[in-house]
Amino acid sequence: MANLEIDKREFTNLVGEEFEDEKLIEEASFLGAHWHNIDGNVCQVETYPNRPDLLSVEGLSRAYRGFFDIEKGRTKYDVEKGDIKVEVDESVEEVRPHIGGAVVRNLDLSKKVIEGLIQLQEKMHETMGRRRDKLAIGLHDLSTVEAPFTYKAVQPEKVEFTPLEYDKNMQLGEILDEHNKGQKYAWILEDEDKYPIIEDAEGRVLSFPPIINNQLTEVYSGTEDIFIDVTGKDEATVKKALNNLTTALAERGGSIESVTIDGEKMPDLSPETMELEPEYFRDVSGLELEESEIIERLKMMKYGAKGGKAIKVEVPCYRNDVMHQYDLIEDVIIAHRYTNIEPELPEVDQIGQQQDIQDTTQVVRDIMTEAGAMEAMTYVHDNREDLTEKINVEKENFVKVDNPLSEEYSALRNLMMPSLLKVLQKNKHRGYPQIFFEAGNVAELDDSPVGASNKKKMAFIQTGEETDFTDARRILQVLERDLGIELEIREGNQPFFQPARSGKILIEGERAGFIGQFSEEVLGNWELDKPTAGFEIDLEKLNEELKK
Amino acid sequence: MRLSSQAIRVLERLKQDETKSVTEFEEEGFDQATVNRALLELEEEDLAQSEEQEEIVQEVTEKGEEILDNCSPEYKIIQQLDSGITPIQELEGNTNIGVGKAKQKGWIDIDGGKVSKTSEGEEVDVDPVKDKLENENFDDELEERGLVRSEARTTKTLKLTDEGKEIEISDIEEDFNVEAPAETPRTGKKHYYKNILQFARETWMEMGFEEMSGDYVVPSFLNFDALYTPQDHPARELHDTFFVENPENTDLSEYEDKVQNVAETHQNGWETGSKGYGGEWSKEESERNVLRTHTTAISANRLHKMDINEEELPKKLFIVGRNFRNETVDRHHLAEFYQTDGIVVGKDLNFANLKGYISEFFEKMGYSEFRLIPAYYPYTEMSVEVQVWDEEDEEWLGMGGAGMFRPEVVKPMLGFEAKVLAWGLGIPRIASIAAGLTDIRELYRNDILIINETPVWRPNWKKNRGDQ
Repeated sequence: MANLEIDKREFTNLVGEEFEDEKLIEEASFLGAHWHNIDGNVCQVETYPNRPDLLSVEGLSRAYRGFFDIEKGRTKYDVEKGDIKVEVDESVEEVRPHIGGAVVRNLDLSKKVIEGLIQLQEKMHETMGRRRDKLAIGLHDLSTVEAPFTYKAVQPEKVEFTPLEYDKNMQLGEILDEHNKGQKYAWILEDEDKYPIIEDAEGRVLSFPPIINNQLTEVYSGTEDIFIDVTGKDEATVKKALNNLTTALAERGGSIESVTIDGEKMPDLSPETMELEPEYFRDVSGLELEESEIIERLKMMKYGAKGGKAIKVEVPCYRNDVMHQYDLIEDVIIAHRYTNIEPELPEVDQIGQQQDIQDTTQVVRDIMTEAGAMEAMTYVHDNREDLTEKINVEKENFVKVDNPLSEEYSALRNLMMPSLLKVLQKNKHRGYPQIFFEAGNVAELDDSPVGASNKKKMAFIQTGEETDFTDARRILQVLERDLGIELEIREGNQPFFQPARSGKILIEGERAGFIGQFSEEVLGNWELDKPTAGFEIDLEKLNEELKK
Repeated sequence: MRLSSQAIRVLERLKQDETKSVTEFEEEGFDQATVNRALLELEEEDLAQSEEQEEIVQEVTEKGEEILDNCSPEYKIIQQLDSGITPIQELEGNTNIGVGKAKQKGWIDIDGGKVSKTSEGEEVDVDPVKDKLENENFDDELEERGLVRSEARTTKTLKLTDEGKEIEISDIEEDFNVEAPAETPRTGKKHYYKNILQFARETWMEMGFEEMSGDYVVPSFLNFDALYTPQDHPARELHDTFFVENPENTDLSEYEDKVQNVAETHQNGWETGSKGYGGEWSKEESERNVLRTHTTAISANRLHKMDINEEELPKKLFIVGRNFRNETVDRHHLAEFYQTDGIVVGKDLNFANLKGYISEFFEKMGYSEFRLIPAYYPYTEMSVEVQVWDEEDEEWLGMGGAGMFRPEVVKPMLGFEAKVLAWGLGIPRIASIAAGLTDIRELYRNDILIINETPVWRPNWKKNRGDQ
């Protein structure tokens, strides 16, 4: 999601019609850009990453000219043949192989327009540019340099220039070390010995992509002709980005002139063509639109479209999100408005069904609350310490998170009990006795292809001056009574229980849980000072036994 | 003399101890309101008197707990300067606060974007903030930084008068007052949030949906690749997704050729009629385990496991489950949250049907008005955000996303073309409203008082909702 700030007067001028704030907030959002707030002339607009063409007031205006019925159909941009050339040296192959370029002439730029262009550039860097790694853009005042240009990779200490925001000559390496943009984006060039630059016929640097431009070429309000460079790692992305910028500038009245890059003329603003079958549209959307109505709506979304056996669609050169007929269908429905579709439930003959284990879980929840326990709801995330030291366990036998926010989230629990001890800790200021249970999931390491699986467990805990082992045993017996099965208790050795008051729960001789009274030491670790007892049982084993 | 039965019980206890605080009464199982009412009666008859004392109780906040687990942001900064002068951009941690505080404390100098230790900074060997928190040495700094919270608690103590000491219980006649409230017993009680989740499950089943299940740890393949999320998508970065250190990778062999089909779909569209994203696709990347960021990963797996032929369609499936995102936890965000996903798989399904299911579900959950607005998810097209109208606050509330799975998702995983309606909706919001919470973290705090006093939620019982 990208948040833009645009000037309403600029928007109105470019769209060619003035809209009430309310209409923009209410209706403009249905295009897929959310108009959150309009304060005077400042509009806050949020756009989605699949539509970089909406990251500027120019692009937004173009889209709304269609959506609000002012100028429908594809906007055609002329490209005049220019004679500026860019040579691409093979040294860039390993570093940043692709470059695109274009010239836009006869511009009349205000400070506001320039600010908007910088915003567009920055947002494109962040979104489709993946923080400049995949894509970086430079705009240059063409009058300050001499064509032809060369794109090449050089040794960092061999070249120097005065970067934007600084007033001294710096070598490329120095820029990475000292300049704030250098520091911020140095990671992209981390493994490289040579760095890419664009230089002019006289050896002056225009740009050191993806880091910074030369101060020399900075665009200002007197700039009339602009040279755009886009460099990056993916050819298609570079070209789409170039088209997006070039057409945004053309919306400002500039005339586009081609640049020859390594023999190839750019930008290529011709549309891609696709077909949309009206029957397929009706099938997917559930909307009974005529072919002509579909065409109309495509044009509202700025596509070129004409009828035939299937609708021939021209996809504007700045769209990079249209990959399948589904994408066209979505845009037709957006133009039709989601709100204008009647909800319709199809006939599907199916009876609702829950997971087998869920029914048993719900019954156990009922029994436990009837037995007087309060239900807790805790995180599956746990602190590694809570699953080891604090319960006197040595082995780290659980799922470990690689990049946790903090220690609290560094593992997934393999036991429920620590979560309940934490609940008691948080309720120390409330009255006693306190009785809790939770039926929930733990994650256990195993030899499945993933290496870990969820397991459903239920744990019970009771604490209070008078509490002891027997309280846990009593409630376990309620479970036995109401489920009508036998749970066998044998002496056990859980490290968190008192040695003489630790038991294992067996179902038909197979281990299914544990029961006991906590040791002083473990209670101390959780800052609990009253006798505490509990049990934990495997609900899946319980369920299997019940179904036998 | 006549007294209520409750006043007699309180008097009985007081006669044993002479003075007793309301809290102590509570610990013995008395209800606070009962003790107060009894006190009024006892005061009236001069049998007891009360004394109030205000006490400031300080406790460590969640923010403070985090420092206890790690260290203060400024200490983190100073630690990183051990190796010498460092550019500010290279510092890790919460640098905004950390650098600010360290500067304020005179530990560091900043010059031209570079940070160095002052002589005072050199001398810092323990983290003073953590130290104060550990030793419960709470001062103004901790409070101002929101690491510690103070609460004034009034303790009321009951004391017998001489007359109270003298009177014999047997001389008191028990008064019966039908209007006097009794004590509400502490009973077993289910958690309000679990009940709402259960209600949502029952709603899907009522609508004929079959329940799916799946694990928290899943390969990136299910969470992202099968859902047509490009491998360089920002959601796949460390700051959005929890990756798993152990077990680190999944053996994808159960997916057989589907791995290759997904790879080709990303690269060139494979047989889906799509152009694909182009670029590289790495199998290693898709083997990396993550904590699922959405239950949609389980829907994707279900498409794979749905070993049925086309005649057996359509099929309706749902899950209510937990998901994990690497978010900074605050009053609006949790790192762990519930979502309900549903998919309907069939040949004759369309977007109007999607709207039908969602409207049906939310109507049953108590929202009569809803709308869909355009959104973007890599795996759906029609991608919409579902909003419901909140009558109380008179605003549209975002409830999650929905759409139709892209053909790029369906064909590789299901094995043939079909239409799949899909959604992933949030429930925490409904629960917060039900319990009148302003802080979403409360859902997992398990405060006895809140669980005890939150009434049962039903979508059309509007009267019993807590204050918002």
